[in-house]
Amino acid sequence: MSSDLDKPLREALRAVEPPTGFAERLAARIEREPLRRRDWRPARRWAPQALAASVLVAALGMYGWQLQRERQGLEARQQLLEALRVTGQKLDLAYRGVKDAARPATAGDAGA
Amino acid sequence: MTDGAACSVCDSLARARAGDAAAFADLVRRHQRMVYSLALRMLADRHKAEDVAQEAFLQLHRKLARVQSGAHLLFWLRQVATRLAIDRLRREPRHESVPLEEDPGIASEPAAGDPLLQRHLRALIGELPPAARAVVLLRYQEDLEPVEIAEVLDMPVNTVKSHLKRSLASLRDRLGGTPGAAALPGDRQVP
Repeated sequence: MSSDLDKPLREALRAVEPPTGFAERLAARIEREPLRRRDWRPARRWAPQALAASVLVAALGMYGWQLQRERQGLEARQQLLEALRVTGQKLDLAYRGVKDAARPATAGDAGA
Repeated sequence: MTDGAACSVCDSLARARAGDAAAFADLVRRHQRMVYSLALRMLADRHKAEDVAQEAFLQLHRKLARVQSGAHLLFWLRQVATRLAIDRLRREPRHESVPLEEDPGIASEPAAGDPLLQRHLRALIGELPPAARAVVLLRYQEDLEPVEIAEVLDMPVNTVKSHLKRSLASLRDRLGGTPGAAALPGDRQVP
């Protein structure tokens, strides 16, 4: 691909040197770069400790949840025992009632 | 680039990768003219051009490990400089500024050819849309073939050819009334 403008364009677009001090200013910017990278280092250093703390909090949470479930289980057991005791008492009362109801008839027979 | 120069670049590249600041400075010295010129012709602003050129080298410094050879380095720098300049143009649309030639800070070696025509051409190129401008710069500043330009700009070869054709037609039309344009040969097209 070639045209009458090739030569004038090449002449017009000849590369030019950057301003004086370009390389020095670039070197200074590169020098500042590691500082930006260092900003991440504390985060990286604390990351394992933060992870360990998170695991500890999670373990404590699990333990607390387990304790609460055990307490609820005990309460349920006590309620069941109480219910059995009350039921036992009621049955005992009913038994006595039936027994008492049967006794006068027996006594009447004896009196006759 | 000759084999010897390419080898020398490879050597500097390897040493720069190992953290040798002098070797990286050598890479900068070898390519700063190309990177800065691309940015300057794209942005037509000395300060923005220097900023973009420095950003391109900063990115190179961060990603040196990914650059495999001297040719890859050249390709990479062209691509990054052009992309950064296009991004900058999209972010900060151009405003009227002092013509580059009147700025004493960028005086280059004595110009061959017609300085008036060259100045006019540069002004007209600066008015092309960013993608078309990048295509023209890579073609006439970097002397790349359309296939190579397509790779650098990540666009189809036909789009590159179309940009070139339309840009040249536009430049030719608008140069019609320029005194220097009278010196142009006729509309000769060599395939």
